[in-house]
Amino acid sequence: MEVLRLQNLQKSFGSVRALKSASFTLNEGEVVALLGDNGAGKSTLIKAISGVFPVDRGDIYVRGQKVSIRSTRDAMDLGIETIHQDTSLAPDLSIARNLFLGREPVNLKWLGVFAPLDLAQLRDAASALLKRVGISKKLDADALVSTLSGGERQSIAISRAMQFAAKVIILDEPTNNLGVEETHGVLRFVKEVRDAGHSVLLITHNIHHVFQVADRIIVMRRGEIVAEQTVADTDLLTVESIITGADMSALLKETRAK
Amino acid sequence: MMEIDVRRAGGGRHPGVWFDAVMTIAAEEEMPRAKRRSSLIRSPQFSSLVILIVLLAVFAIADANFLSPLNISNMMAFLPELGIIALGMTLLLTAGEFDLSVGAVFGLAPVVVMLLVQNGGVDIGVALLAGLLLCIAIGAINGLIVTKIGISSFLVTLSMLLVVRGAALYITQGFPLKSWDQPGFFVTLLAGSFSIGTFRFYTSLWWFIGLSLLAIYVLRYAKLGNWISAIGSNRNAAVARGVPADAVKIWLFILTSVLAGLAGMISAFRISAASPVAGTGYELEVIAMVVVGGTALTGGRGTILGTIVGALILRSIRNGIVLIGVPGLAYNIFVGVIILAMLILHALLQKNAARS
Repeated sequence: MEVLRLQNLQKSFGSVRALKSASFTLNEGEVVALLGDNGAGKSTLIKAISGVFPVDRGDIYVRGQKVSIRSTRDAMDLGIETIHQDTSLAPDLSIARNLFLGREPVNLKWLGVFAPLDLAQLRDAASALLKRVGISKKLDADALVSTLSGGERQSIAISRAMQFAAKVIILDEPTNNLGVEETHGVLRFVKEVRDAGHSVLLITHNIHHVFQVADRIIVMRRGEIVAEQTVADTDLLTVESIITGADMSALLKETRAK
Repeated sequence: MMEIDVRRAGGGRHPGVWFDAVMTIAAEEEMPRAKRRSSLIRSPQFSSLVILIVLLAVFAIADANFLSPLNISNMMAFLPELGIIALGMTLLLTAGEFDLSVGAVFGLAPVVVMLLVQNGGVDIGVALLAGLLLCIAIGAINGLIVTKIGISSFLVTLSMLLVVRGAALYITQGFPLKSWDQPGFFVTLLAGSFSIGTFRFYTSLWWFIGLSLLAIYVLRYAKLGNWISAIGSNRNAAVARGVPADAVKIWLFILTSVLAGLAGMISAFRISAASPVAGTGYELEVIAMVVVGGTALTGGRGTILGTIVGALILRSIRNGIVLIGVPGLAYNIFVGVIILAMLILHALLQKNAARS
């Protein structure tokens, strides 16, 4: 079932056409990898979906409904959670406080921003969540995020997106700066997220990771989507040649002959 | 202002009553009891408290008058004036910004209010309202330029310091105003005094206590406090979660400016005079209080309890070294060296705590 559909999204910055035209569909319980070289328009595309800036032209549909996304808040309310590399968590806050940042459970709601946090609920919900995602053994909901490893931080950020029952989770370079072991942990986590029924849009430079977790691959080049294939129907070299735009058919033939 | 400050500077003993109240609130940590103790000892405000106690002990031994009722009363008269500004500065620093214009606002607000009454024949209530609006405007301009145009708060508020101080000097032609001879409701409200036994306290102490409790509540327990810490810790993360970072910062600039103006009024009413150069250098002293208390200069980690301790530390240093007979002109050398020693000790204590 279709969760998110983009139709002919366009975005320019001055005379630079960062996004010429982008259309694709994301289905329920699917991991789609968005690939492309630097400057291909990947970040412009995800920023548009996550509400960082509005698009110039084009439509976004969530579950078949046309929507307008004007702020990050709008995107979150529509069930689109974006996890940016290194910028998702506040290191000086506890895990629990990070999990609920911007959506804090409070008592005396009428006090607005001065309302007291419901600390008991904050901690219980955080512990329950950490348990559900299988990282409760090591992590304490009151631990500061600054004491966590990169992989743990990614897991926390992804858990937070799951917790708010996000329909679409956008992961921007989730395995950057991670060690081998941690990378595998995060990729395993991505599969679990998909199995729990969420859709994932994965932005990455690492094609190997794509082949481990993604169901479908979308390749962008110079602001346009140039290819869309299921992982089963393609291979690493083909994808690489599409990304760079180089003619690697000779190399391809050679490899296939072996 | 600073000279009066030095002559009458008071001692630095923490008054049991309100400190207990504050500590009770602090004890309600958001974690189980077992972990509470170790995290309390590791907290930055704890090492500040150790430093304060050592300092008080040293001064008390060096001069018996340090803990006399008169000296403690004097000290409590000065503490709130810089302390109130430090509360706002703590919140602002926690959100990752700071304000160098507070000392100038401290000087300008009472000058404007008293000029309006003395020369303009305006009612004191209306004049105070005008002063409040002026402080709000200064804070709002600081905040808007920092957040919307994206210039660092150091540059923006440094310029604002010059503008505000310059305005105070220009409208008074550089002279102190004639002394204030109109007691009344507002004077009592801001700078009245009362006695408990042999101790004489100003109402400003209540202002400081009340505002401290509010600030502790906001930073630690309110939704807003979570936002303030998150903004200072990682602004992009906070914004990505829908936290209105710019609005929060602008309001904090306004708050800091208003508190600086309030402190200026309290001071002017207490000494019954307003001077265009009042509060010179206060911005750095306030920032020193906040940082000595354990708030990170880089944002994200702020502690109001630490700031209260920091204010007491700076106050008792200023008072204590006068009592033990440091010559007047050498005075700032000692203050600077002691603050530096405090910060080094602080860093060492923190490092130790982190290791254990």
